Order: sequence, then structure tokens, then C-alpha cells
Amino acid sequence: MSVNPDAVDAAFFDELRKHYSEEEIVELGAFIGFNLGYHTFFGTLKFYPLFSPDGRLVSQAESEKLYGAAPASLKKPKAAE
Amino acid sequence: MTHIAPLPLEAITDPELRGLIAEGEALGAPDDLFGRIVARAPEQAVPLMRALLMSHAQGHVDHKLKEIVRILLARFAGDKYFASLRSRKARAMGLTETRIDEGCFAYEDAGKGFSEAEKCALRYADLMFLDVGQVDKAFYDEMKKYWSEAQIMELGAFIAFHYGMQMFMRSLGAKAAG
Repeated sequence: MSVNPDAVDAAFFDELRKHYSEEEIVELGAFIGFNLGYHTFFGTLKFYPLFSPDGRLVSQAESEKLYGAAPASLKKPKAAE
Repeated sequence: MTHIAPLPLEAITDPELRGLIAEGEALGAPDDLFGRIVARAPEQAVPLMRALLMSHAQGHVDHKLKEIVRILLARFAGDKYFASLRSRKARAMGLTETRIDEGCFAYEDAGKGFSEAEKCALRYADLMFLDVGQVDKAFYDEMKKYWSEAQIMELGAFIAFHYGMQMFMRSLGAKAAG
């Protein structure tokens, strides 16, 4: 939907229906559309998460360092699990 | 025919959703197709319809300007459904097809008579999904010359939400009736 919307065609929906109900497809489609729009908008506002990946309350300046250029995943690296 | 068939209106029993669909029909955007499709996910349908209508028809930014922004975004999204719908409220306020086209394609032209505030808002919509890197601190500083922070948030959220729903309707292959 974001990078190649033309690929979301009838065949794609037929494939989706193998795994999801029509209710779930509508829920997913609206959710994806919502996030497509809002994440672009939020990106322009330059605000960052209040908490570091390890749960500390951090300033926006520190948060930008943590999440700005290369967003950190909250998922722990495999080696640490 | 959309990839997900809309529910028949008579199958929608939630009075709140029926009311919102009627409100959209009265406004002209969205018509009942959007509401009847999202009605397939009943828990999502009411907040989606309410947000779509409220962000477009209420608030503190001129509705005519938001109507131009909405159509500009729908054309950019390649969404034939929302691009073909028109707000009756905006039309009653004097918005014409000529002005919509000028707002979409020639708002920077001095001869078209858009105010600096309107140009800034249209540029905001244009750049958000065309070249988001240009929507930076300097851009927001420029916007603040003409718009309050509340109005900028209203515009930004409006742009984000409507563009998202337009991409969703495009993915469904939706086209407005008539």
C-alpha cells in the first residue's frame, strides 16, 4: 500500500482472504492507511519517545540520539535473550 | 466493484454509524460507500467515520481550504473515490471546480490570489507526501507566521488522516457512484 499500491489488486485480496476475514482485512487496511499518514506527519514534528529502550525517562535531546538517526528496536538482540 | 464489498445499508443496525453515514452523505464526502465498507469492521467504523467527518467539516481552519487540500491529496494518492467527491458545504460557501484546480496545480502563481497563509497550508499538504524532508523546522517557523499551533496541528492531522484513508480506498479499487 505504501511503496507499490498498484500491487494491491484483486489477486492480492484473494490471497488475503485465505488468511483473514473481510472484517479483519478492513481493520488492517484502515490501520495501515492511518499509520501511513500519521507516521509521516509525526516524523515532521521531530518528537521522540519519552522512554529509552531500557525503560528510563529521557529528555527529547537524549531520545533523539537514541531513536533519531537510526531508530532503536525495543526488541533485545538475540545474543542478549 | 470494490475488492471488499460494502455492506447493504439495511444491514447496518448501529444507529450511531447510520447517523454518521447519513452525515457524510449530507456533506458529500464521504458518500455512503466508505461507511458501508468500514462497517464490515464495526468496532472501527464509528471512530473512523467520526474522525473523517470532524477533521474535514469542523475545526478552526477554513473548510473551503481543507476541501482543496483533501482533493489535492486524493489526486496525489491516485484515489479516484475521494478525488471525485465534493463537499456540499464548501460548494455552498462558494468553492468552485476552477478554484479547486487552481489550489491543486497553481496555488503558487501570484495571479491566482491565494493568501500567503493558504499557500503555506497547500504547500504543507503537497510536501508531506512528496518531499517530507522539506517539512522541517524552517517550514514550521514559516507556517507559524500565519497559523496558530492549534491550526497547524489541525491541518497536519487532517492531511495525515485523509491521505491514509485515501490510500486505503485506492487499495480497494473504490470509485464514487456517478
